[in-house]
Order: sequence, then structure tokens, then C-alpha cells
Amino acid sequence: MYKTEVRGRLIEGDKSFSQISREITAPINDKTPLWWYAAFLVSLGMFGFGLYAKYITVTTGIGSWGVNNTIAWGWAIINFVWWIGIGHAGTAFSIFLLILRQKWRTAINRAAEAMTVVAVMCAGLFPLLHMGRPWLFFYIFPYPNTRGPLWVNFNSPLFWDFVAISAYLLISASFWYFGMVPDFATIRDTTKSKIKKAVYGFFSFGWTGASKEWLRYEGLSFVLGGIAAVLVVSVHSIVATDFAVGVEPGWHTTIFPPYFVVGAIFSGFAMVLTLVVLMRVLYKLNDFVTDSHIDAVCRILIFISLIMGTAYMTEIFMAWYSGSEYEMYTFFHNRIFGEYAFQFWAMFISNAIVPQLFWFKKVRKKVWVVFIISIIINIGMWFERFNIVITSLSKDYLPANWATYSPTWVEIGFFIGTLGMFMAGVLLFFRFIPIIAISEIKSVAKYNKPRKDHLKHAGHE
Amino acid sequence: MSKNYILGVFNDEDSLVEAFEKVKAKGILPVEVYTPYPVHEILEGMGKKTRITHAAFFYGLFAAIGILGFLYYAAVISWPLHYGGKPFNSFPSFIVVTIVATILSVTLLTLFTFSVRAKIFPGKKPEIFHDRATDDKFVMVLDKDSLGEMAVEVDSIINEHGKIE
Repeated sequence: MYKTEVRGRLIEGDKSFSQISREITAPINDKTPLWWYAAFLVSLGMFGFGLYAKYITVTTGIGSWGVNNTIAWGWAIINFVWWIGIGHAGTAFSIFLLILRQKWRTAINRAAEAMTVVAVMCAGLFPLLHMGRPWLFFYIFPYPNTRGPLWVNFNSPLFWDFVAISAYLLISASFWYFGMVPDFATIRDTTKSKIKKAVYGFFSFGWTGASKEWLRYEGLSFVLGGIAAVLVVSVHSIVATDFAVGVEPGWHTTIFPPYFVVGAIFSGFAMVLTLVVLMRVLYKLNDFVTDSHIDAVCRILIFISLIMGTAYMTEIFMAWYSGSEYEMYTFFHNRIFGEYAFQFWAMFISNAIVPQLFWFKKVRKKVWVVFIISIIINIGMWFERFNIVITSLSKDYLPANWATYSPTWVEIGFFIGTLGMFMAGVLLFFRFIPIIAISEIKSVAKYNKPRKDHLKHAGHE
Repeated sequence: MSKNYILGVFNDEDSLVEAFEKVKAKGILPVEVYTPYPVHEILEGMGKKTRITHAAFFYGLFAAIGILGFLYYAAVISWPLHYGGKPFNSFPSFIVVTIVATILSVTLLTLFTFSVRAKIFPGKKPEIFHDRATDDKFVMVLDKDSLGEMAVEVDSIINEHGKIE
């Protein structure tokens, strides 16, 4: 049971149920603001540029990128890992916090899940086009074929990754969608527009809120929540093994899976914070996304940031302690004091040091400072992936193979394209989907009132 | 809506639950209860149980066995290939794919089961008794014919906590 006296109110203002429905569906029912069109146009432009970059990639080939034999994984894999990391927020929010019975997640989980679905779609594009011949991507699927049948290598983390990411996308999308069904029904029943009634009516799958529906719905959430919790840990562990089973210095360590998982949750939470702050400011949802919500996410980020710092220090310590000169070279001569010192320190400062500012209540209270720090974390996490992918590959055991890498405009354009796709997805989500889980908010609204006080409220409309 | 039903409409969860308990104490079970969010007293009180968790378990069991069996068939029987001297049946590395694909199967099959059992599917026409039951009203639907002589008592219980529509 949630104790309001201890934890503070989950929703500000003494709202009636219909007021909750009305306020959350306001962005869907009201006139679309001008900034939305402006932002959507910008994101479409970015998306279009990305499409052009993809067109060049497909028609010319991977030669249009800056990758070479030594650094075969360039921006594509950095961005892939970055997006997948961001995509961890949804399941982490919905499922970890569901299991931990954190009622405050109800205001944020919908946005986190939406973000997850779009981020994972962005992520999937990178390995797909990195294949060089994306039209043959189905070769990675183990199906009876005319080539033997020649099956895929089930021992390869790259295959595990394909399974993990496709499963993750399907599972998060269905989890997200079924969470929305009752809310679509609410829109169907409250809207005055005939078109909306028909469209949301279709997507609500005939939901009525009957007890036999809720009963099975609860069973379903229980099953999906329980079983998908594994995915929070497994997906990024598998991404980590893509690296950790390689013999490159800086990759070949056992710390990688937990280190990647924590990093993924870190970047996911940071992106959720970015998005939730925007959502709250743009749609004035301060009563639902309260200061204490922002405060809670900030506190989690301090904790994760400490783990990140510990992981970075552990890696450096192990490089020295192992006595391996290659590890020493990678960490000290390539990363900390070397050619990639900027990227290393950008990662270290943004992820391990800057979030420590959240220890101060004054920082957590200022929403615009929180917003800026969340952006800094996202940039820091990008540099972490740069560090891992590029520095290890650039200088390994054979100096004859050493190379440098810089991206071409095609790779940068591809990345900008996914940023545009993400922005467009989020904007569509803001505009057409209830951004906060209405039925879940209603179910926690009762904690605002003392339980036995209901008679006083029974009469009031 | 229909002539044969009495709709008890309540403004909050507590009024609904109290009226529900009282009606149940009279030995009458409502035909259905519609709420904007799940109310556990009602879900238990309606006496229905869901076996969706059991179904999920068996889906998981069969999916895991099936996937592991397929991996063994493909890597050991159908076309064995040497990968760096590892055994054909490299069981530990099959586990990863087995776990992930099992979770996927369980999710999709359970969703499908939910859709079939709760009758929530694309294109379904909702049977709406009260159009604010998904918004802010808690609605208890009772069958008028089966009430018989108790109709008056039930009416007074509903009127005490909410109103009849």
C-alpha cells in the first residue's frame, strides 16, 4: 500500500476522475499548437536527410562510410548501441518499477515505453545497413534454405543480438500497446469528434472496462511484467558479448555485460528525464509529473552514475593489475592521455561527475538544470560507446594494422536521420496517444485521500 | 440501455465496493461490473478466476523445449559445422537464444490467449452499458428478471451509495 503521508502526493490538485481523463487527453482533443508543427517539420527534414544518407549507403555501398579494415565498426555501431541503451528505459521503468511496486512510475511509464519502441527501431537500422547488402538480411534468420540447409551460427553473439533485439522490439511494442487499450476506450467514450470515436474505437479493440476484461488484463500484466523483466538485463548483456567475446584490448573483459546493462539504464533514464521535462513544460502536466517524480528520477541517476564511475575505475584498475601491456596501452596511451583523450574525458566527466550535482536539492528542484544535465548524460553515453568501439579497434596488437577513423557525411546524416525519426515519433506520440496512462493514474488517485473519507466525496460531482 | 437491466452507477471505488458487498450478501451476483481501472475487491468478488498464468507457464515450457530441440537439430543433426573446435552440441551457448525466444513466444501466445479469452480484438464492437464507465463512473449491471422480489431492496442499496440509471 502506498503511504501518502510518507511519500508525498502522486498527483497534485484534488482532481475528479473525469478531470484526469480530460487533462491527459487535452493534447489529443485541443488544437495542435504551432510549435508542434514547427518541430515536426524540423524532424521530418532531419529524417529526410537520413533517408538520403541511407540511399547513398545502399546504392554506393559501405565505401561511402569512413570505416576501414581496422575500424570496421564506426558510427553505425556506436549509434546502434546508443539507441539500444536509450531503449532500455521503457522496460526498466515499466517492469523494474512495477516489480518494486513504485507507484510513481504511473505518470512516466507510458512515455518511457513509447520512447523505447522508437529508439529500438532507430537502433535496428544501423546493423541492418551495416550489413552492406540489407536486402539479404533474412539470411540471419534460421530457416530451411537451399544453401544446404546452412544454418546460422548459434554460438555467435551477433546472432543472439539479432534474436534479442527483434524480440525486444516486439515485446516492448505489444506491452506498450496493450497498456493503451483501456485509455483508447476512454478517448472513444469521451471524445465529441466522430472521426476520433471511430479511429480510437477501432484501436481500443472493443474494451469496455468489464471485470472479466480487467481480471485477465491483470493476469496478462503479471505474466508480461514478470517475464519481460529478464529482457532488461538480457538485451544489453548480449550487446556486450558482441564486444566481450572479441580479443581486442579493452573489450575482452568480464565486466562488460553488467557494465553495459547499467549504462543502458543510465542513458535510458536520462532520456526519459529529457522527455518528461519537455512533456511537462509543453503540455503543462505539472500536476501529474510532479516535482517529486523528477526528484525520484534524479536520485536514481545519482546512484547509477556512481556505478558507472566505479565501472570506469574498475576497467582502468584491471588494465594495470592484469599486467597486460596491450590493455595498459589501450587505457592509458590511447584513452586517458592519448589520441582519444577528449572522448574519454567527455565520457568520464559527463557520466560519472556531472550527475553528482543531483546530490544537491537545489539542483533537483530547478527543472531547466535537470534538463541540461539529462542532455549532458546522453552526450556522455554517446562518447562512452565511441570510446569502446573506436579506441579499441584503432590500435590493437599489430601496429601495422593501426588506423584512424573519422565519419563521412553519410554516416553523420544517417545518425541525424535517426534523431529526426525519434523526434517525429515522440511528437506523434504527444499528439495522438494519451501521454500518461489514464487508467493507471486513476487507480493511484485514491491514495491522495484518506480511505475512510469517501462518504464526503460520494455526493460531489 | 436494455429494459432488462438495472444499472447502479457510482462515483467512486469505495461506494461501488460497499454496494457490491451488500448486494452480494443478499445472494445476488451482478451480471457485470464496469470500472475505469481494476478494482481488486470486484475482481475477486465476481468469483471468476483467470488461468492465463498457467497457460503462460505451459507456453514457456513447450517453447523452451521446442527451441532447444530445434537448435540441437540444426547444429548437430541437420548440418553439423565446426566452429573453432567447439562441440556441435554447444549447449551453454544455446541457452541465450532459448531464453530470449521463449520470452518472445510466451509474450505473443499469452497476448493472443488474452485476446481470445477476454474477447478484446481489432474490429470488435464494444457493448457499452454506460458511456462513462471508462471515464469516471463505476457501473454495476444487474439482471432485472433474476432479482424478483429483492428488486426493491437492491434498489435501496444502490440508491444509498450511488444512483440507478
